[in-house]
Amino acid sequence: MSGLNIRRIDPFRLEIARIPPMRTTGLVYANRAIERTLGDVQVLQQVANVATLPGIVGPSMAMPDIHWGYGFPIGGVAAFSRDEGVISPGGVGYDINCGVCCILTGLKVEDVRPRLERLLTSLYNNVPSGVGSCNRALAVSGKEFNRVLELGARWSVKKGYAPTDDLEAHEDEGCIAGADPEAVSAKALERGQPQLGTLGSGNHFLELDVVDLVADSEKARELGLFGDQVVVLVHTGSRGLGHQVCDDHVHGMISAASRHGIALPDRQLACAPVTSREGREYFGAMAAAANFAFANRELIAYLIRGTFEQVFGGSFERLGMRMLFDCCHNIAKMERIRWEGREIEACVHRKGATRAFPPGDTRLPPRFRRTGQPVLVPGDMGRMSYILSGAAGAAETFFSACHGAGRLLSRHEAKKRARGRKILDELLRKDIHAMAASRATLAEEMPEAYKDVSDVVDTITGAGITSCVARLRPFAMVKG
Amino acid sequence: MPYTLIDHTADTGMRVSSPTVEGLFVEAALALCDIMGALTPGKGETAVVQVEGVDREDLLVRWLQEILYLVEVKGFRVAKAGLMELTDTDLRGELRGAYTGESLLVEVKAVTYHNLEIACIDNAYVAAIILDM
Repeated sequence: MSGLNIRRIDPFRLEIARIPPMRTTGLVYANRAIERTLGDVQVLQQVANVATLPGIVGPSMAMPDIHWGYGFPIGGVAAFSRDEGVISPGGVGYDINCGVCCILTGLKVEDVRPRLERLLTSLYNNVPSGVGSCNRALAVSGKEFNRVLELGARWSVKKGYAPTDDLEAHEDEGCIAGADPEAVSAKALERGQPQLGTLGSGNHFLELDVVDLVADSEKARELGLFGDQVVVLVHTGSRGLGHQVCDDHVHGMISAASRHGIALPDRQLACAPVTSREGREYFGAMAAAANFAFANRELIAYLIRGTFEQVFGGSFERLGMRMLFDCCHNIAKMERIRWEGREIEACVHRKGATRAFPPGDTRLPPRFRRTGQPVLVPGDMGRMSYILSGAAGAAETFFSACHGAGRLLSRHEAKKRARGRKILDELLRKDIHAMAASRATLAEEMPEAYKDVSDVVDTITGAGITSCVARLRPFAMVKG
Repeated sequence: MPYTLIDHTADTGMRVSSPTVEGLFVEAALALCDIMGALTPGKGETAVVQVEGVDREDLLVRWLQEILYLVEVKGFRVAKAGLMELTDTDLRGELRGAYTGESLLVEVKAVTYHNLEIACIDNAYVAAIILDM
């Protein structure tokens, strides 16, 4: 498929016309600034490729942090009818339920600054990060590990690692129903078991931010946000367990797609009908990996709370530390959606995208009914991050929004541009303190490797999908 | 080592070539290990890799995935790679090296199938493989 026909619909949306074998149109959320970052058509071709898959409902969508992925684009959202559609491991990605959580504190930046060096060093020492990081102290095995896969964040609460109050602050209360540990291979278990409670490397991070701007004071108050407040963002996922689950099932679905007569424009889009044996097995394994990721982020939150207690004294409750929200980025979920006046049970794939329920949505816990679901949008190391909330317009994306800034440069190009520069010193000049397990990671993750997150946020709020609650400024971070 | 890095926004790719298809599989294995920092001069130990696939492209991905597993989980570091058998659907290969568990340079999450094709161009077999980082 080539020769895409792309037109601008309005200041925030581009449409890719349906050309066979596409079964539907493509819809890309992009203002003019984002459009200029799209580069050649490879990434838009990926949006078009997703549109060829059977049972797709509505357009094949991409959020404004879209960039070239493998199979699905990063930032891709696609819903498939449960009865006639497919589920695709490549539409979720290897880092299943990679996501971000935000932990609030009752501290202001001036409370933290005098102890910042000790805090940052302690966080770096207490939260295992870097290539191949393991956490033997929190490792569990056998039946207990299966409980992690079944229960997710609920396991962390049961074991006393997290307060019960945290559960409502997770997407799906920290547990995807239908997890099947039996569908997780021995290799996946072997890769994942030592990695529970670890950050990993690459774009995973732990970051201290200060609330730099309150854009909606009513919602901010309701969510517990205030000016100059210190909050903690954590970005990580299901580690080696998720990677292996995806590996195992992409391979199996190449044959399955052929058996079910599904033509694949790219093998990484390998898929099977949602209700087929292969589809059900993948869903069970994916949900298990997603639950591992929920538990992983809770265990990291436990290590962070403990570190704050060491450094500031008193309990984490007295320090005002509570989970604001924890969201999934790479996931396929069974959700009821509305399309052309009909209610449809669909398998909604979000790859590098997150859920965004609006105010009043009865699927939200009471604490978010008035504000809408918090949508966490981390930027790069040197610029801002945002806390948004779902808005009524999110119905058109099946309640999905952007997940971050989106990469602009390849890792190779970023390293080339970082040659001869001292990224740590550059950050320090902006009053941003960083510790990294690897200098190469720091170069790959330097600020200009990413789009300006403000353009991403302008697009998604301009399109009416979200509204802005607060802006965050980074001031300390641990990179894997 | 006959491979070049491919610029890919999200991840990293490697373009590998060899005069023979067997050589392509060997070079791809060594390129992956080079990117991860998993090459070693020591070759006292052996690991056998056996995979099945629907075609050569599938076999290439699965061969590399098995090597990734051996490197990441078992701590195997690779000095040499070779194939004993390669058909359209079966591969048996051998790695020489050592189980040292030494630190790796980067974490490769997976070897992807994205637009993968083994092509024969100007008497050389070539493949571009995208790795999820």
